[in-house]
Amino acid sequence: MENAEKDWIVRKREELKSWMNDDKRRTGLSRAISAYTSAKERALSRLPELEELRKEVRGIKERSIREIDALVKVTIDSVREVRGEAYLARSAAEAKEIVSELTGSGKLVVKSKSLTGEEIGINEVLEENSNRVYETDLGEFIIQLRGEKPTHIINPSVHVPREEVAKTFSKLLGKGVSPEIPELVGVAREYLRDKFCNADIGITGANVVAANTGTIFLVENEGNARFVSNAPPKHICLTGIEKIVPTLQDAFKVLQVLPPYATGVFMSAYVSLITGPSKTADIEKTIVYGAHGPKELHLILLDNGRTRMAEDSVFVEALYCIRCGGCMYECPIYRVLGGSFGNNYFGGIGLIWSAFTTGEEGVAVAVDACTKCGRCKEVCPLGIDTPRMVERLKETLVKRGFLTPRHEEIKRNILEKGNPFGEDEARRD
Amino acid sequence: MSRLRSKGISDSTMALLGKMGIEFDTLGAEEGCCGSVLLRTGQTGAASRVAEETVRRIASRGFGEVITACPGCYRTMSSEYPQIVGDIPFRVRHISQFLMEKEGLLRGRLGTVNARVSYHDPCHLGRHMGVYEEPRQLIRLIPGVELLEMKYNRSRALCCGSGGGVRSAFPELSREVARSVVADNLPGEADLLVTACPFCNFNIKEACPKSLRVLDLPELLLSAWRG
Ligand code: SF4
Repeated sequence: MENAEKDWIVRKREELKSWMNDDKRRTGLSRAISAYTSAKERALSRLPELEELRKEVRGIKERSIREIDALVKVTIDSVREVRGEAYLARSAAEAKEIVSELTGSGKLVVKSKSLTGEEIGINEVLEENSNRVYETDLGEFIIQLRGEKPTHIINPSVHVPREEVAKTFSKLLGKGVSPEIPELVGVAREYLRDKFCNADIGITGANVVAANTGTIFLVENEGNARFVSNAPPKHICLTGIEKIVPTLQDAFKVLQVLPPYATGVFMSAYVSLITGPSKTADIEKTIVYGAHGPKELHLILLDNGRTRMAEDSVFVEALYCIRCGGCMYECPIYRVLGGSFGNNYFGGIGLIWSAFTTGEEGVAVAVDACTKCGRCKEVCPLGIDTPRMVERLKETLVKRGFLTPRHEEIKRNILEKGNPFGEDEARRD
Repeated sequence: MSRLRSKGISDSTMALLGKMGIEFDTLGAEEGCCGSVLLRTGQTGAASRVAEETVRRIASRGFGEVITACPGCYRTMSSEYPQIVGDIPFRVRHISQFLMEKEGLLRGRLGTVNARVSYHDPCHLGRHMGVYEEPRQLIRLIPGVELLEMKYNRSRALCCGSGGGVRSAFPELSREVARSVVADNLPGEADLLVTACPFCNFNIKEACPKSLRVLDLPELLLSAWRG
């Protein structure tokens, strides 16, 4: 155990250091943070109604999570009623199995950004089955090409400055690309265009799901999720059960709060509402599924630790999170540690998410990097008390043996000498 | 923390109270760590023991009120001890709240200090306990001082990076956070940074040893005292 303990610390400590000392990543991060904060401030001052609305959304989320089991059932029935298929996956393994079965092998798959997909390791499964997978969100596309992992839930390539993106794209095209941002965006657009149209399968996440109509909300600015969910003949949507709210009206409220906090826009450029596969009855009033949009729609609702979260009086709050990512940009530690401050999910709230969905061990060290300063709670549209949850998570980790030796030493000093430094009281003056 | 690592702060605090003619005493060699760091690092069992012992020591000396120079002690003793040991038989306040109440004893007794001062809100004092104004009011009591706000202040203030057991686990991270806060947040014209927390004070000082003058609130007031 002694050695194992040291291992878990040493490995992560190296990762933290490599982030701290990487000027390129730090530059990318700090540019993004200042662009985000000024955009958000502008958006919030233009939308004073958000003050009331975000309180309402908090109430909606609290109610939804209380009734989560029932809402899952309602959602599945609603989706089936409109000729879609819906599944509840209890674990990452179950979800992977469903995805594998639905995809088969040798397919061309386009994806829009989904951290839930990352959570279960969806790309690995698809590739193992010899499918070709393209990430189409610009940020995801960049890090997929670079063989990296996402570092922010809304802006996964937040740590890659434009000069580095240009290098990556130059390699892809085999010719020089200038580090001008509009040009870089153009490269991705050109490259991915025919992938959308030729893909066999499109995989998306969801931002909100309305139970009583079975409606999936996709919120985005790039227009790629719209393509992914519409062009291929089969659409698979993988999302966590906590995204479900009872009604369309509730979903619209969540929808209004999300964009200003996520990217500082009043409303995202595109919101797609998907209720069942595409259909037409234009010939003899006979319904045929699969008109211009997908013929099949599959909604996979993922539990993978969420029910356990819902059952805990402290951690339940993490399920109210609408994943706007605002608290990450605003976190003084995230500014320095970026994507190493977490594991798939980032920042203080990400530590909680990661602990429940991908295991406590993965965040045991990162938890010690959180100062519990409370800035995340202050900027969260739902007022989620993340520092309290992190403290609680730390307590659980300590009970499982993840106690940092330095903290243990402090405890000994306090209990034996009355001060954290282990100095003798006699030396005091 | 204050007593052993930022002795200037505890000494200045006591000296200032003395000059103001306030009757007070300390636990002396009996005084121990409040256990805040144990709560932040998940060692709740030990924290409870420390809390019980601390309350017992203070109560047995008959103190009716405890003043802390450290916001961490203030938060822990006033809002977390009651959850651990139930009602506590004394009142706990941060030095800034106490001094503001005794503002009359400071007014007219502080000499001119020509400085542009910026104030760093400690997380435990500000966000966690809602004390934002008292330290600012005290700084403004000093003639000649101009208070320049940090870019992000009060409830949006940036953490110095030392709390929650982070400094002991990752000292280099704490320093890096402090540097990033000072670089992005401190107005360029400020020539003095005032903190109201020994942790912030120690960490910021250590991270920016050359570039910045850092004082804690009681130190600033004591240096301005002319009697
Ligand atoms: S915790 Fe709050 S601020 Fe952070 S991502 Fe979730 S909703 Fe957004």
